[in-house]
Amino acid sequence: MATNAVSMRNDFSEAWLSLRFELLKHLKRRRLIILVALATILPLLPLIRTPDTAVGFAANSLSFMTVLIVVSAAMFAGDAVCGEFEKKTSLLLFPTPQKRSSIFAGKYLAALVCTFLVVALWYVVLTLETGALYGWGEIPAEMWKSFVTALIFSTAAVGVAFLVSSALKRSISATILVFLVLMMIMPIVVMIMTLLESEPWFIVTYSANLITTVLGTTSRLPMGPHGDVVQQFTPTFGRGMAVMATYAVACVGAGMAIAVRKED
Amino acid sequence: MEYAIQTENLTKAYGKTFKALDGVTLQIKRGEVVGYVGPNGAGKTTTIKILTGLIRPTSGRAYVNGTDVAAKPKDALRSIGALIEVPGVYDYLTPHEMLTYFGRVYGMRRDVIDQRIKQTLELVRLPDWEHKKAGSFSTGMLRRLTIAKAILHEPDILILDEPVLGLDPKGIIEIRELIRQFSSEGMTVFLSSHLLSEVAEVCDTVIFLDKGKVVSADSVEGIGQRMDHGVVSVRFLRPLSGADIERIKAIGLIKSVDVKNGAARLHYDGKPESNVEILRTLVSLNLDVVSYAAEGVGLEEYYVSVMSDEKGVN
Repeated sequence: MATNAVSMRNDFSEAWLSLRFELLKHLKRRRLIILVALATILPLLPLIRTPDTAVGFAANSLSFMTVLIVVSAAMFAGDAVCGEFEKKTSLLLFPTPQKRSSIFAGKYLAALVCTFLVVALWYVVLTLETGALYGWGEIPAEMWKSFVTALIFSTAAVGVAFLVSSALKRSISATILVFLVLMMIMPIVVMIMTLLESEPWFIVTYSANLITTVLGTTSRLPMGPHGDVVQQFTPTFGRGMAVMATYAVACVGAGMAIAVRKED
Repeated sequence: MEYAIQTENLTKAYGKTFKALDGVTLQIKRGEVVGYVGPNGAGKTTTIKILTGLIRPTSGRAYVNGTDVAAKPKDALRSIGALIEVPGVYDYLTPHEMLTYFGRVYGMRRDVIDQRIKQTLELVRLPDWEHKKAGSFSTGMLRRLTIAKAILHEPDILILDEPVLGLDPKGIIEIRELIRQFSSEGMTVFLSSHLLSEVAEVCDTVIFLDKGKVVSADSVEGIGQRMDHGVVSVRFLRPLSGADIERIKAIGLIKSVDVKNGAARLHYDGKPESNVEILRTLVSLNLDVVSYAAEGVGLEEYYVSVMSDEKGVN
């Protein structure tokens, strides 16, 4: 039992070391700076044409949140595994007295920390904007719920990116596939299922709609030449969070299983 | 006896038909400098990757300081410094940043890490580049940086896979000198190469690998004797006349003589005592010997003979 406790402590310290090294690399490669800049500037875009209400303003701004999270996941986790093999830095990194699982855990957590940081920054800027434009009392009470939802979706998106990075050999392929899956394939599946009047509850990007819907907004999709409206489904909070958490756990678990067995 | 490096029937198969390693058994003593030679695709890098935990063997075992690499990789890798193929480097990091991380991985204290970084960069002749991004380094500098990483934690065992690959002659000499220095400090060095001249210069023992099997293993001296063949290069004060050449050929221990540009290459049986006797005889013939040096020990000829015979000695 004592041996297991020591072993776990060692694993945590190795993962922590790996996380710090990854954060240094993200900083040095300017990825973090670029995303921070985006998270600071993009929330200012809705100022071009401001809605009447604070909720509308926040919802408008947060409609870009999914894009930010996917970009962040792709940038920070897209090459986390395959990049080491592709660039042959694995030949420096792996013949060392640390578990591969600890190395990759640190990489996933570093990508998550960076994504959390840019998400948090966006919410800070948005909150300040909303307060400044509409009054501090008008800031939507459910903003914190939206923030938590965004963080949970981040764990899922980074998990998907980590899995793709583990499965593929080339960084560029992994990054593109992450974008394709989260920005195109899944949303298309959601749209098709909606048109077929079947709730796409198990698609993680559908659950990500909670980021805006928790503010009390609903959405309608105008379709056809007569302006018919298709009522979009709205994910329930509990199930949506569970779906995102499941994606996170499953993708990270599968990604880790592939990554630790990968050979040069 | 606990060996520094030991493998037992190491096999690595890819698919059902191809074996990169086929029952390789090695025993490398502490403090030895061992050359591991063979043609491209022989399995040298595969062996090294198994010893360093990069890949798993299909069967067989690999031990480092008595520790099974597959069973306890962390313990085994703690005493190894490795340079494998041409590793990538994080070109947006400085040597200081990169080596600090690896120092922490090996559990070194911060003050020790800073000190060792300066020492190793001094040793590999990169002291002025500690805080410059590795992306600006030349090929030779990158190679030296990866050697610095390999020795940072003062390992007992240094594993070098084609260390002079891609280097110019100056770079090759520098690496050779470094290996000699590591050996003099008691490090066990396991060096794979297909450059026999380099192996002959620095190694005590040479292991020949072909198509995944060890075909021969012997000391450099033993190989020379086994070949029953040695070569001595002799320079004389004055050019050799025809009569001089005939007198040299008449020395019983000499098998053949090649003369070129005032120097002669004398082929003999490779035994050290024969070497001594030949020198004595040349001096007694008043041939004014300026320099007298034994060349490589016929490693190239031995390599060709064992590779074409494909003998397995495991």
